[in-house]
Amino acid sequence: MVANLLNMIEKILLAHSDSDTKTVSPGDIVNVSVDRVMLLDIAGLHPELINNPPKEAFDRSKLAIIFDHFAPAPNIEMAIGTSKIRKLAHKLGVNDFYDYGRAGISHAFAAERGWLLPGRIIANTDSHSIAAGAYNMLSRGLGTPELLQVICTGRTWFIVGETVNIELNGSMQSPTESKDVFLKLAGEIGDLPNENIEFSGEGIGQMTMDQRSVVSTMCAELSVEFAIFPYDKVLKSYLKNRAESYFRPVRPDEHTEYSRYYSFDMRDIPPMVALPDSVSRNTKPVSELGNIPVDQCVIGSCANGRIEDLESAARILKGRKVHRDTRLIVTPATPEIYRNAERLGYIGEIIDAGGMVTNPTCGSCMGGHMGILADGETAITSTTRNFRGRMGSREAKIYMASSATVAASAIKGYVADPSEFLGGAFS
Amino acid sequence: MKRVITGRAWVFGDNINTDLMYPHICYTLPEGERPKYTMWANRPGWPEIVSRGDILVAGKNFGLGSSRPAASNLLGVGISAVIAESLNGLFLRNAVNVGLPAVSSQVIRSMVTEGDLIEIDLTEGNFRNLSTGGSVAFRSLPEFLMDVIDAGGIIEILKRSGCLDTEAL
Ligand code: SF4
Repeated sequence: MVANLLNMIEKILLAHSDSDTKTVSPGDIVNVSVDRVMLLDIAGLHPELINNPPKEAFDRSKLAIIFDHFAPAPNIEMAIGTSKIRKLAHKLGVNDFYDYGRAGISHAFAAERGWLLPGRIIANTDSHSIAAGAYNMLSRGLGTPELLQVICTGRTWFIVGETVNIELNGSMQSPTESKDVFLKLAGEIGDLPNENIEFSGEGIGQMTMDQRSVVSTMCAELSVEFAIFPYDKVLKSYLKNRAESYFRPVRPDEHTEYSRYYSFDMRDIPPMVALPDSVSRNTKPVSELGNIPVDQCVIGSCANGRIEDLESAARILKGRKVHRDTRLIVTPATPEIYRNAERLGYIGEIIDAGGMVTNPTCGSCMGGHMGILADGETAITSTTRNFRGRMGSREAKIYMASSATVAASAIKGYVADPSEFLGGAFS
Repeated sequence: MKRVITGRAWVFGDNINTDLMYPHICYTLPEGERPKYTMWANRPGWPEIVSRGDILVAGKNFGLGSSRPAASNLLGVGISAVIAESLNGLFLRNAVNVGLPAVSSQVIRSMVTEGDLIEIDLTEGNFRNLSTGGSVAFRSLPEFLMDVIDAGGIIEILKRSGCLDTEAL
């Protein structure tokens, strides 16, 4: 019998499985151990956890508690919720506890800490946990009740899905950013519920870890289970001096077959925008949009609150002013990013242009605080979701684009192509 | 938990996301108030007209979005089961983990008009529209997920196994 050929996702699931089977295939359910668990401040608003906290953690050295969504507490409910999670951190004896000011958004922070390592599985409640796939590993959102089980037992389950292969070739041409690459593929591929994505192609070698992370994070919007990038030199050098332990990268078996194949040439992708209310099959080039005035411009989130986003914003904003009819809110994803952006002068340039820089948090990305939209307002954001009501009023409209496009729009006061300021391949 | 669920159908379209089912304002409301905002942006007033035991029928990719407790809001509104053309994986986990059955069938929306009396047999994997007489098979949930639903959600199972404190934080 020919051994079953496995892709990267199947290999990681198999390596963590508690059964002694030698293979897995689509449709199988696997019970797996997890290498780390992250619990977030927002769990303090879940009665399940508050009313029935875990007695102890399966391994407290593998549990991290991170305050990111509502940092610092914007209202009394959240203040009470987080005070209870602090109590829990103490009760469980968790060392990796990061209160306000010490972590930033979990997905970006976990990478900085060297927790995201090839071959691993990490459990986190948040739906953008899939971000970890950029690091040749697996994570997905689990929900708070389920996380209680993982904290107690160190185990969870996954249904093995079919896997599609997306080949990324060529390299992005300025001013295109990896958000545009994602918006292009979301527009063409659409949703893939219960399926997985494996990325391949020579273009990946040209992408920084930030750029890969934007794509993996955003894959949550395609409704997939997992999305994963291969291990290569770029990832290896990112992990040098950072990885918290040794790790085991995975590669797909040669001749592994995927359920479908897609291929994109990143050289051809111009600045893109997602129209309000949904992401998949709802995107187009910014240049085709027409004149859409914006009341608020937001740069931030686990996907696009990274140093490259702040750099790109600063490059466009330097020496210019945010248009008087709009406002710009910039939210770095972590304190480390904030600090580096300050050192490199980006924060000053954004402030000089009239933009507001907030502390690291999820903030307006989830309509929590720091930039809620009013009825009838229109926003453009480089955060992760444009769903109706996401950033405040259900009568607001949210366009989604790269940080460069948001910065260009902030100057113009309407959704604008960054080519106008940066020139480049598409001007 | 009953394994055969009968109820009146509410029909929704494609891509109903968790922001719609559980708008952010729910986070800061008392627990009992939260379900009142279910589908607040896309179908305001819906929670008031749902009767306990009704079934939600939806199109593709139901439950896309955040890990917010959207399924708890549906239960709170009175929904007893969800059947959609396809389900987001995180929504499925969250539904099962709070004891809400959620299954999928690619043809479901073509078989139901809002208000029909419908029946879902979770054990047999059989859907019947009692108003029109139509029926179709769907893939049952794995037995270990049915056990979670039968127990009334994962918290109940964890409580029984003694891992959770009974004293609130
Ligand atoms: S930044 Fe937005 S998408 Fe990312 S974890 Fe926070 S709320 Fe979720």
